[in-house]
Amino acid sequence: MSGQVKDSPAGEPMTEAFLEVSDLHAGYGQARVLHGIGFSVGRGEICAILGPNGAGKTTTLRALSGMVKGRGSVTLDGTQLLGRLPEQTARLGVAHVPEGRGTFNDLTVEENLRVGAYLRHRRGRRARSERVAVAADLERVYGYFPKLRERSRQAAGSLSGGEQQMLAIGRALMLRPALLLLDEPSLGLAPLVTRELFRIVRTVNEEERTTVVVVEQNAQLALDIAHQAHVLESGRLVLSGPADQIRQDGQVAEVYLGISVQARKGG
Amino acid sequence: MSEFLQQVVEGVGAGSIYASLALALVLIHRFTGIVNFAQGELAMISTYVAWQLVASGMPFWLALPVTLAISFAGGMLIERLLIRPVEGAPELTIVIVTVGLFIFVNAAAGLIWSFTVKDFPQPFPEGSVALAGVDIGWSTLGVIGVVAVVMGLLYLLFQHTRTGLVMRAVAANPASARLSGIRMGRVLMLGWGLAATVGALSGVLVAPLLFLEPNMMGGALIYAFAAATLGGFDSPVGAVAGGLVVGVAETLAGAYVGFVGADLKIGVPLLIILVVLLVRPQGLFGRAAVERA
Repeated sequence: MSGQVKDSPAGEPMTEAFLEVSDLHAGYGQARVLHGIGFSVGRGEICAILGPNGAGKTTTLRALSGMVKGRGSVTLDGTQLLGRLPEQTARLGVAHVPEGRGTFNDLTVEENLRVGAYLRHRRGRRARSERVAVAADLERVYGYFPKLRERSRQAAGSLSGGEQQMLAIGRALMLRPALLLLDEPSLGLAPLVTRELFRIVRTVNEEERTTVVVVEQNAQLALDIAHQAHVLESGRLVLSGPADQIRQDGQVAEVYLGISVQARKGG
Repeated sequence: MSEFLQQVVEGVGAGSIYASLALALVLIHRFTGIVNFAQGELAMISTYVAWQLVASGMPFWLALPVTLAISFAGGMLIERLLIRPVEGAPELTIVIVTVGLFIFVNAAAGLIWSFTVKDFPQPFPEGSVALAGVDIGWSTLGVIGVVAVVMGLLYLLFQHTRTGLVMRAVAANPASARLSGIRMGRVLMLGWGLAATVGALSGVLVAPLLFLEPNMMGGALIYAFAAATLGGFDSPVGAVAGGLVVGVAETLAGAYVGFVGADLKIGVPLLIILVVLLVRPQGLFGRAAVERA
């Protein structure tokens, strides 16, 4: 229990680390994937983790939410996340939208969203006020994703890929998360749909001050909405900094990582 | 014509018993991906519990809910004590645990109650009622009615309660359910408890038609497998529909196909299993699993 947070000076409101990852190791059985990565995310910031296939991006998110075991330290607002199961990190406000969307295909769209609000169920005196709040959040999610309202009674499995991704994010928002983890939201989606999705993530971040960690292969899109960015390669961070700066260093990343992070102006 | 209708109704009666045992199989398969070979034996031991309660003076209609409650608790306990420790193990391991449970429960019932057959009380009045020119026994009507009520309650639970929603979410996507904060353990226990409850119902309803003895559910389990295969092992609605079809098919084949008769009736479910697996392996209501290469 030596994972106490040092250096949290109260005088730096903008850069106060909300999520603090240090020396994080993780893997599957014998296969080590992460070899001690460290980064921090300020409250209300969007952090992009970029890198090629197999670099450990997904594993990083899984370690944060407890889907895989990790060593090292991951603190959220000072609370250690490592050593907890997914159902426990969810209680601490971590909402993980897994790779491949993770919708409940047999359930209707609205049921999916209600499952997302599972932890907000209250008994007794607070039951009514929480029910009202959940209903309001349902409206809020439908506000972000009007398509979901049109399809609220449809089975999630019948939605298009883009709609399913919206639903997965909407479900995560129903938790009223402190930390939103997005794993490859662009996977298998048309560019226009992806753009729209990222725009909404940015809006959610701005309106609700939700801290976001987004993992992406589509570096350009992610850098457009992120404040900070890190480039992961073979389980190690090779480049970290403000998103603008990473974009400037795009040449470096392109040469070493084979990913295109060049900003296409006016896109 | 009226005789044909009569056979159909008889078939629906038998079919609703298969349907409830098939539903038990499907509930567990949906939540854990395994087939519980001990489901029939659990139903059998529940039936002995009911018999014991009735034998000690409890009226049947009180003994039934008490038995169902005990079975519910027993199912939850089995999940917690026997299945949880092998959770995540290869499917074969878990299947062997259920086969072991089958043998253990069967032997335990023999040890406690002996292997000699017992008469199980008939809970429904004798005689029959004429409906649209068809004579239907009260016992058949009673069986259909009780199963219909329990199925209706289950439907309400799954479709109109928060617990049901959570259970369906876990069945649809366990990983995402956990990420939403749902504790899997409780839901799985609940699933096993419900399965044991509907299974117990099938045992208690079939017992008056057969004799009570430790091997009584062997035949019913085969019919239930046929029903679940026909309906699709992942579909509760399919299990019920499959049970009814199997019941009717069995009764009609026994009555009208000369060489089948009473002795060869057990061949009907096997034939259904074979044909379904050849023609439509996912069953009528099931969905074919598509795996990404």
